Amino acid sequence: MIAHRNLGLVAAAATLLAAAPLSAIFERWTWLIQATIAVAVVAAVAALTRLGRVPVWGQVLGMLAGLAVALTWLFPSGEELLAVVPTPGTFAHFADLTSSSVEDMRSYGVKVPDTDPLLFVTVLGVGGVAVLVDLLAVGLRRPALTGLPMLAIYSVPVAVYVDSVPPVPFVIGAAGYLWLLVTDNVDRVRRFGRRFTGDGRGVDVWEASPLASAGRRLAVLGVAVAVALPLAVPGMTGGLLDTVGSGTGEGNGRPGQGGPPGRIDLFASLSGQLNEREVVDMVKVTTNEQQPFYLRFGAADRLLESGFRVRNPSGTAANRELSGPEGQPGNGVQRNAYRATVEVTKNLDMPFLPVYSEPVRTEGLNGNWYYDDNLKVVFSNRDTARGKRYAFDYVRTTYTPTALRQAQPLPADHPMRTAGLTQTPDVPEVDALVGGLVRGKRTDYDKVRAIYDYFSLENGFSYNLQTEGGTSDQDIVNFLDTKVGYCQQYSAALAWMVRAAGIPARVAFGFANGTNSGTGTYTLTNRNLHAWTEVYFDGIGWVPFDATPAYGVSGSTRSAWAPDTDAPEEQTPDAGATTSPDEPAAAPTDDRRGPGQEDPASGLPIDAAPPTREAPVWPWWLAGALALIALLAVPALRRLALRRKRSGRSAPVLAGPAFGAAAGDGDTDGQRMVVVADNDRARADAHAAWDELLDTLVDFRVRIDRTETPRVTADRLVRDALRDDSDAAAAARLLGRAEERATYARNPLGGEDLPPALRRVRGALAAQADRRTRLVAAVLPPSVLLRWKTAAADTSSRLVTGYGHTRHRLTRWSPRRLLAGRLAR
Amino acid sequence: MTQQTWDEVGGVLPHDEFRAASEAIVSNIEHVIEGKTATVRLALAVLLAEGHLLIEDVPGVGKTKLAKALARSIDCSVRRIQFTPDLLPSDVTGVSVYNQETHDFEFRPGAVFANLVVGDEINRASPKTQSALLECMEERQVTVDGVTYQLQTPFMVIATQNPIEMEGTYPLPEAQRDRFTARIAMGYPDPHAELAMLDGHGAVDPLNDLRPVSDADTVRRLIAHVRQVHVADAVKQYAIDLVTATREAPDLRLGASPRATLQLLRTARAVAALEGRDYVLPDDLQVLAVPVMAHRIIPTADAQMARRTTDAIVSELVHRLPLPHDRKRSPYDTRPPAAGNGHGGPYEPRRP
Repeated sequence: MIAHRNLGLVAAAATLLAAAPLSAIFERWTWLIQATIAVAVVAAVAALTRLGRVPVWGQVLGMLAGLAVALTWLFPSGEELLAVVPTPGTFAHFADLTSSSVEDMRSYGVKVPDTDPLLFVTVLGVGGVAVLVDLLAVGLRRPALTGLPMLAIYSVPVAVYVDSVPPVPFVIGAAGYLWLLVTDNVDRVRRFGRRFTGDGRGVDVWEASPLASAGRRLAVLGVAVAVALPLAVPGMTGGLLDTVGSGTGEGNGRPGQGGPPGRIDLFASLSGQLNEREVVDMVKVTTNEQQPFYLRFGAADRLLESGFRVRNPSGTAANRELSGPEGQPGNGVQRNAYRATVEVTKNLDMPFLPVYSEPVRTEGLNGNWYYDDNLKVVFSNRDTARGKRYAFDYVRTTYTPTALRQAQPLPADHPMRTAGLTQTPDVPEVDALVGGLVRGKRTDYDKVRAIYDYFSLENGFSYNLQTEGGTSDQDIVNFLDTKVGYCQQYSAALAWMVRAAGIPARVAFGFANGTNSGTGTYTLTNRNLHAWTEVYFDGIGWVPFDATPAYGVSGSTRSAWAPDTDAPEEQTPDAGATTSPDEPAAAPTDDRRGPGQEDPASGLPIDAAPPTREAPVWPWWLAGALALIALLAVPALRRLALRRKRSGRSAPVLAGPAFGAAAGDGDTDGQRMVVVADNDRARADAHAAWDELLDTLVDFRVRIDRTETPRVTADRLVRDALRDDSDAAAAARLLGRAEERATYARNPLGGEDLPPALRRVRGALAAQADRRTRLVAAVLPPSVLLRWKTAAADTSSRLVTGYGHTRHRLTRWSPRRLLAGRLAR
Repeated sequence: MTQQTWDEVGGVLPHDEFRAASEAIVSNIEHVIEGKTATVRLALAVLLAEGHLLIEDVPGVGKTKLAKALARSIDCSVRRIQFTPDLLPSDVTGVSVYNQETHDFEFRPGAVFANLVVGDEINRASPKTQSALLECMEERQVTVDGVTYQLQTPFMVIATQNPIEMEGTYPLPEAQRDRFTARIAMGYPDPHAELAMLDGHGAVDPLNDLRPVSDADTVRRLIAHVRQVHVADAVKQYAIDLVTATREAPDLRLGASPRATLQLLRTARAVAALEGRDYVLPDDLQVLAVPVMAHRIIPTADAQMARRTTDAIVSELVHRLPLPHDRKRSPYDTRPPAAGNGHGGPYEPRRP
């Protein structure tokens, strides 16, 4: 029973360790305290029930009851008996907490503050996992299965963080899991009694089993492969190493550009960093509008200190008639109806559909899609935009500055004000700046323009994919100080400051205009993702303003009421001037961009035609294939080099007197010079030739026997392999004789030309071998592979031996020896 | 009687003379023993290796004939001892008798005082008599009454014994067997040889017509020639590996002695010389392993129960033992030989 209780404690601790990833979600550590309490209660109840020898189902019920009590105590509704006994009211309270936790999950971004609903769900989840782990590990003795519920905890941050999850908590959780496994195994062994080693010494002395070393080798190999493979394979990038290498984590992400393509974090952060690795097509839109404004799919109007966040949209079905723009056209406000067709690629995976504002009718959408009249977004709770095709009619509204200037300030009881759209966090620096900017401006539009114009090159604002840190703890103050950022910061700061001026504002998300194929079809990539500001004017509606420096955004578009602040000819609003209705109100500006527009990712000027910018992939494949071929060719090359080296040294040297081994005695003409190489030279040649012959035999799958003498090997070769080829047989015998003489006689066989004999034998062997053997001998020579294998095995055994010696020496100092001695007595 | 001491051998023969002399002896013996060239050569090799030969086979295959033919082919002193149970050691070594004329004891040399001693049915004598051969075979001397008499060179004991008939025999003691350089079996002749034997031996024993083709002096020079045959380090290593393998073999209770190593190499030299080589090959050792070592080793009881003969055990060892692979080590190379030369694990997996 002691072992059981131990295992239960370990299971509880492992559960808590496995909950470590949740630290990446919560701002504070309250959840850990509460989860610890819940897990402790569960573990205590489990231990008690086991002490009472309650069956497994009873243990489960007891643990669940303990969890319920713990939850009741931690999250009281006020109706409990004795503060811990739950009542029906308590469970109703729990249901409330659960449902409101869903809203909290939607509304808060990571890291979330300590709200009761979220804490409740967390503690409930961790407690439930604790019950499961205890049941599996102790009740059912299947600790390996506990990995599943533990992994479930880890999946929470994985789901929340679209980019990357901090690895350390996972390591902690995995350590807990391993601890549980080890404890269970030790417990299993203990059930058989005391643990003895073979010869009865040292009961608790650590003895590495051969399996353990094999396991260690496998583990090392696995880790090496896991680390090396992503580095070696082109295209597989990202992950822990990149994080380590660059030293910076992923930022909160500009919409769509931070994380992996597809999931776009709709959060206008006031600080962060933009990482862009690849360009993917997201949307293809066709419209009959000449110069369309941005394609829009989201809006954020919840202002937090760190930026604007999306509120949960609510609305009516999108396939019905939509409300259209508010306010009346005319008097400087011009409305034109257009039609657009959108084709979303598989790369955009959002619950929002990109549309041009403001849509009045949609086609091709099912009942899952809703239209939020307030935020002007098409959204779904069940479906995503992935792969959708749809069409919609929309009304493009253009304004003249005059018309906007005529808009009246918002009354104090306007619903926009009461909805909190003019509230800002209390940051005195911003208020002071806004106060200075809007001083003396009478109309809302003038105030907005004053703030909008503030974000100009003259005032030192520049575009950068990464914000710089500042001295303040307020991100907005930092941004306004450093004046460096990208669209999120510009849009959020403008919206904040406009709000601070008492005018409702929000941040809109969407695509800047992409590349026009000429027929009104635009291809929008993740590089076109953009955020801008929308300001509400009474009686007119939401009017877009884009404060981001135009050179930073591909497809940036400026309008008459919000011209480019950095343009050389500042188009100051003329009080009396009205834009001609025929003139396209939204005109692309800023000639400086043009074809040499800056790539937002690299900051380098690139050529025109952005869609062809995708780096071709085939060089990588080619390089990979070449590398692979080179790698595969290494054994063959090695074999070739070996053969060349061995045959290259065979030019007989004209040396002095013949050393007994007369070579030219067969010739009667006496013309032939007795060519006798230097003894050592001839010996080395014979050895080289023989080695080459042996390697050739290995290559052609002829058996090699280390117990055979050269003579026997040559005889066997003649008998078996070279039966039909007398020339080759003679050559083989010559090689055998040369090796024999070189090894065992006083004087080696001299004057014989061995390489031709070698070639003869090789040719005969090749002629006899089947095609597969020939191919293998040429491409992957078994002799080279065998030699490498032997060398690897030798090295490995040497290392193991050395390690064993070291360990043996170290065990002299191990305290376990003392322990073993004590136990042995 | 000229006393030729052990180390006094003649000058070295030229290569072709050696060949001619040895071939003459072999072909002369083959007049009597048909179809047994290998055995005959081995017998001659033992003679040239300054060793002793034990011929062990069933009766009637020509053991004694071979011994006598070898003896007669060489013009030297030959003595024959028929070992019987009542033979005394003094009959072998010699005895001091009282000479009444000189009133002194006079040494009468025994049968071993000859160049070739043919001991027939050696296992029929009592161990006491067999022991009389111990000193003379190894040390080539006889000590009687405190006086040591050197034996002549060449000196060779050719003994025969019958392994089948155990009745009334005394198996050779281990020390005695170790003194024999090689034990060979005659084996039955093949049909052609047997037919030729019928023709040749039908009327008259060809042994009677055998004329010596060599003499003791020539044999001494042959021996001198054999002594200078080159033995490479690798071959020596291989010999040591072989002997070590017998000492470590699990099937064997007693392995081969260092004397076996020595005689293995000596015989290998003789065989190489007879084949016209001036260097020894591992092949020679492989061929000689069974004749030279099989009679010296004792199998374990398990191996005996499994009816594994020592011949089979030794030949299996030969087939399993890898050759030494470092070819020519520098004399200054003090590193221990690389593993895998038969030291690390003498037993490779059995060949398929």
